[in-house]
Amino acid sequence: MEPVILLIVGYVVIGGLLACVAAHLLPVGGAPAAMGTATGIATGTVQIMLGAAMTGLFTAASVDTYTDSLLLVTLSGAVGATVMICVVMFMANIIYGFGAGVVPVSGRVDVDPITKEPQAPYKTPQCDGHGVPIVVFVSGSLGGFIGGFGGALMYYTLLNYAHFSAGTAAIGAISIFVANAILAAYNIRGTIEGFHDPKFKRLPYALVASFAVSLLCGIVVSLTAVLGGTL
Amino acid sequence: MPIEVVLLFAWMLVIAFLAFIACTFEDLESDMGSQSNPNSQVQLAAQVGQINRFFNKAISGEPLSNAMYCVTAGTIAWILLMQLEPLVPGEEWKAAVLAIPIGVLGAVVINIIFSTTSHCGRTAAMKRFEQPIYLDVLYGHLMPIGAHAFMTTFCITCIAYIQSNIGTLSGNPALDHPFALPLLGFIWGITVGSIGSSTGDVHYGTEREFQDRPFGEGKRVVYHGKITRYASCGIRTQRDIAGFCAKFGGPCTGMTFGLIILFTNWTTLVGMQLGGFLPNLPAFTAIGDMAAIWTIVLGLLIVAALAVGHLIFVKWVRKKCGPFVGE
Amino acid sequence: MTVTPAVIEEEAPTKKGLSFKFPPEETEMGIIAGIIGAVIVIFTGLPAVIKGVGLILVLLWGMDSVRKTSKYGLGTGVPSIGVLSTGYGVVGALMGLAVAEYGRVGQLYPAVLLGVIVMGVIGLVSGVISNSEKFIAMKIPRLERGMMELGMAGTLAILLECSIVTGSLNFNAVVNQVMNTGIIALMFIFNCFAMLHPYNACLGPDERRERTRMCAVEISGLICILLGFAQLALGTSPYGPLDAVSMIVFGAIVFAVFFWKFIKACMDEAYETVGTGMIKTIE
Repeated sequence: MEPVILLIVGYVVIGGLLACVAAHLLPVGGAPAAMGTATGIATGTVQIMLGAAMTGLFTAASVDTYTDSLLLVTLSGAVGATVMICVVMFMANIIYGFGAGVVPVSGRVDVDPITKEPQAPYKTPQCDGHGVPIVVFVSGSLGGFIGGFGGALMYYTLLNYAHFSAGTAAIGAISIFVANAILAAYNIRGTIEGFHDPKFKRLPYALVASFAVSLLCGIVVSLTAVLGGTL
Repeated sequence: MPIEVVLLFAWMLVIAFLAFIACTFEDLESDMGSQSNPNSQVQLAAQVGQINRFFNKAISGEPLSNAMYCVTAGTIAWILLMQLEPLVPGEEWKAAVLAIPIGVLGAVVINIIFSTTSHCGRTAAMKRFEQPIYLDVLYGHLMPIGAHAFMTTFCITCIAYIQSNIGTLSGNPALDHPFALPLLGFIWGITVGSIGSSTGDVHYGTEREFQDRPFGEGKRVVYHGKITRYASCGIRTQRDIAGFCAKFGGPCTGMTFGLIILFTNWTTLVGMQLGGFLPNLPAFTAIGDMAAIWTIVLGLLIVAALAVGHLIFVKWVRKKCGPFVGE
Repeated sequence: MTVTPAVIEEEAPTKKGLSFKFPPEETEMGIIAGIIGAVIVIFTGLPAVIKGVGLILVLLWGMDSVRKTSKYGLGTGVPSIGVLSTGYGVVGALMGLAVAEYGRVGQLYPAVLLGVIVMGVIGLVSGVISNSEKFIAMKIPRLERGMMELGMAGTLAILLECSIVTGSLNFNAVVNQVMNTGIIALMFIFNCFAMLHPYNACLGPDERRERTRMCAVEISGLICILLGFAQLALGTSPYGPLDAVSMIVFGAIVFAVFFWKFIKACMDEAYETVGTGMIKTIE
């Protein structure tokens, strides 16, 4: 057993767990959010998580061509994903505000935990909040950062420890990332607002699933590297 | 400043501009066919007895479907480039001028095929709600959908082509992106779809789809399925919707993707410039690390600026609109 | 994201002549497709058209698994499960390709099936955890089996596609000609669509399995065309360009026949197909 195999498995597991946490932190409104019936970004967990992770992956791959520091590559991936998710939430709010006249308001808490502003009086009856209020923005940025970090970590591991080619590393990282994000999405079931949402307490269940799947995938990937002769 | 560096920045701006166009048309294409999240209401409409003349284009979520078009275009373009580039040595761009539009046309054909199957399949599966297949709706929407998809896919394929050749184009082949053209198409296809679905759908779903409901409130659960079926004159089809969304939702969505592409590429390039990486490219040295650090710092600054802007905007809009009045 | 209806009961095929009568039942379909797909993967030297037939069967199997798991409502729409399957498929195919050289007999690569089996195990584990009361608790009947089948079908499909494009199952050849050229992205996304699109497109209370399967075959035909072009461009086939051309022709015929059949079936089985018309007002 070479130490580099342990490193590959360990980093893949960490990347998978981070993907799972990130999927829970992102404010996902699903189909109701597109009608202004729920708080969050108006798309599914997997979709927005993939979009953010891809931007992060692109930045990480660019940076990886001129530096070999693990921390710098993963951090630039994380920042790339955060930029993407922040711009999306900001512009979504502009459309909510100017296009539909809807005020950003959280449906799960009565008082915003960060700004202490009241939420309930602004909410439309029979709705579960709308738009992207401040606490949700903070949670979403964190989610983007963590998700981008996880994706870039997996990419870096597959590229520089398992010595896959750039294309193989990218598609392998995407595949493992996607599996984890989807298991997290099944745990969320529809909509979540972020860390202040009661559903966030379900996170440990998804983490168990994500740990098991990432561990197996990590073992498979390191076996591939050993047997395929790249290691 | 050396000409290579100027060219790099110029190509980066071209990419950002193409991204703006791409995402604008992506959003309009999804409105034109009613794809993604708001389509759940079109689907629901027939079930609550609201027979409609909407186009039910349920091709998965937008990220996957756009990734499919862009990957198809990218692959066909890549195959053609491989065949054509040896014919014009030294002037590879001539091959791209031919290869990219042909690849994109292939992707548009695929889009039209998938649109047809999903509209027919979904409508046939709603037999018990007495929703007929209107052939004029089917035929009349395929061309507009294809035309909008052509613009999106064309811009994304161009972005992917420029990025995979940005070094060659600006005179520094070492700067080419490590990913191949189809893979870059996949990445940007997923991203453009994910933005089009998360930002652009709001204008269509919240406002245009329920236009006869009160303005300025979230659409209540009791309204769900009861979409606006009548246009200013006659019965509404999807073609009325794209014209409306082109005035606000589309450009906003385009700006989102344009800003993202601009920021991610801009931070990388400015980081390289500030770290002293350009134009000599001393990769895997302390200078390379410095460039990466500058990239991260600039990215964090942009995130901070966006967070502050968001804080101010939310406070302002809450103050302006005030608490909910009405029933 | 789309709204998934609650459980729907099966309906007997009504139209004669239009139903697509190949293996009538889901378990049989799984066994047949699995065995034929595995055999075709092992015999790597076969012409591309036969691999194309195997690909169609395997994708049909995957689509069946997607259908039976997402019938009960996943909470995140049908697409996610197809993507999950392909994600597992890519990891499994990498594993299979890496071990392919071991235990090789001439042109036969039985070891490649190890990747399929490993992915079946991973799918089973994720299915058990997703369905277990203690963890994610999705409470979908037979989700374990569905996820296992999805992992296996996804892996077989990616392996078959790699074998079509490169003409061999050599790890380095696949890395050079499929991964580094980006064709893997094409395989990834079209595998997803062949599995998730048929059920997603036919979703509704009057969905009928035979009709949904026609759509799956039609998309598989499209994949055959595109892979044929890729094979032609790379020029990797041991049988020369004729192999790729026959693949393209085969794909085009399959696509044309089943596209026509599918649209015809939809139009016949819809409530009504009219040229144009006003909408019925109920209020």
